[in-house]
Amino acid sequence: MSSVIEVANVSKAFGPKVVLKNVNIEVEQGESLVIMGGSGTGKTVLLRIIMGLLAPDSGQITIDGKVIQEISIPELFEVRKQIGMCFQMAALFDSMSVFENVAFALKRHTKMTQKEIAVRVDECLAMVGLRGSDKLKPSELSGGMKRRVGFARAIALKPKILLFDEPTTGLDPVMTDVIGRIILDLKHELGVTSITITHDLKSAFMIADRVALIFQGECLAIEKPEAFKVNPNPVIQQFLRGDAEGPFLQDPPPPKRTRQEANL
Amino acid sequence: MLKLFNQVGGSLMEFFSQAGDFTVISTRAIRAILKRPFDFENLMRQFVAVGVNSIPVVLLTGVAVSMVFAVQLAFGFKQFQAQGLASSVEGLAVVRELAPVITGLMMSGRIGSAMAAELGTMQVTEQIDALECLATDPIHYLFVPRLLAALVMLPLLTGLAIYVGYWGGYLILVNVEGQSAYTFASEFYKLIGTRDLRIALTKAMVFGLIIALVGCWRGYRTRGGAEGVGNAPTSSVVTSSLWILVTDFFLTKLMLV
Repeated sequence: MSSVIEVANVSKAFGPKVVLKNVNIEVEQGESLVIMGGSGTGKTVLLRIIMGLLAPDSGQITIDGKVIQEISIPELFEVRKQIGMCFQMAALFDSMSVFENVAFALKRHTKMTQKEIAVRVDECLAMVGLRGSDKLKPSELSGGMKRRVGFARAIALKPKILLFDEPTTGLDPVMTDVIGRIILDLKHELGVTSITITHDLKSAFMIADRVALIFQGECLAIEKPEAFKVNPNPVIQQFLRGDAEGPFLQDPPPPKRTRQEANL
Repeated sequence: MLKLFNQVGGSLMEFFSQAGDFTVISTRAIRAILKRPFDFENLMRQFVAVGVNSIPVVLLTGVAVSMVFAVQLAFGFKQFQAQGLASSVEGLAVVRELAPVITGLMMSGRIGSAMAAELGTMQVTEQIDALECLATDPIHYLFVPRLLAALVMLPLLTGLAIYVGYWGGYLILVNVEGQSAYTFASEFYKLIGTRDLRIALTKAMVFGLIIALVGCWRGYRTRGGAEGVGNAPTSSVVTSSLWILVTDFFLTKLMLV
């Protein structure tokens, strides 16, 4: 299998704060990689570097054989047509309706007629379970609906790669499961290569072919879910258990009461 | 002492860095005007936002400024028994300076701030990143329609300000000060020619360029959430107003030679 996305020795710092340290990741054709890690460990920064929204301090990103840091702006936009990005807070255009949001890239980058665009928008909305919501404005949508419209917008151009930035953060457990299933469906129906950033272990193991954990800017592990679950690294085990105590946090807040007291 | 040098040096570096960034972004925006795809729908929306929706403001300020200037002229020239000159000077002032500058300053407050706030909100809510991810150059999609709308609409609004400025002067000098309507009509245009109209419209176009570029740039470079969005319009209005007044001086000096 060939690598569609290759992250090679990528480092990034904002002032004195080092966010990513020499990260190496390869994602193969049709593979679903889930990246996990604590808040502020540079997962979103990594996605933004992959999209070319941020420049790494060192290292490079190769997508479909093209080094993102070496190509011109028009070439970068051509590469981006092959990638669908789903933002954490959806980032829908709030002055446009759901239809206009999903149709945006189709209108700008294809020669499709209005009727063809309407059919494609309907298809995309159906894939995320939002058929019939096309006239609503983003302000009229719930958090989960916004994310799903964001997915529909990202898949409109039939991209080869999908990037999901914390698609379930802030949603209730049921909606989290719904989003996880949609990502799984998109993966099977579209056969895309995807990178998903999430904190939700259930949906992570549901959609992942491989799981990576970023800790203090470094990629600690990148392996199949079964191997990841039994990885003896104490940081990974603490993350999987969801405990406050352990090496995962450098300065955890001191507990004010014991677990038993809190449960009383 | 070292601290002072450090601070001055830091401020200078920041100034040159901002000036450089503005120049690069503005050049990209101007070069993007001829790039495809042409977004007529978006352009029409901006024509309405910049032009049509600004008509009431321009009407009111145009009349008000012209009226107050006419009152001052009538009072001033009365001291020298030269009331007849008021209409001519009123015409000269309205066409050459008051209409373009007042329209420019009002538009900097109305549309420049709106552009900065809109783009600033889009920036902090990741909508501009979303545009980039949808393979759309934000400079092309956001800057170009606003820039074209300002370039076309500012001269038209200035023309409107000149027209209502005439009637503002008429109201005071004819209806209040008792000049004859015929004298006012002939004297208003006595000192001005087509060159003055050309100067006024050129100034308006340059002011439009300044307002759109500064407003969009400030919005595009917004950082820091709600506070950043709050600062962007203020900073846009202050910067573009200053540039309008500075360029007005140089344009006047250059074009009157």
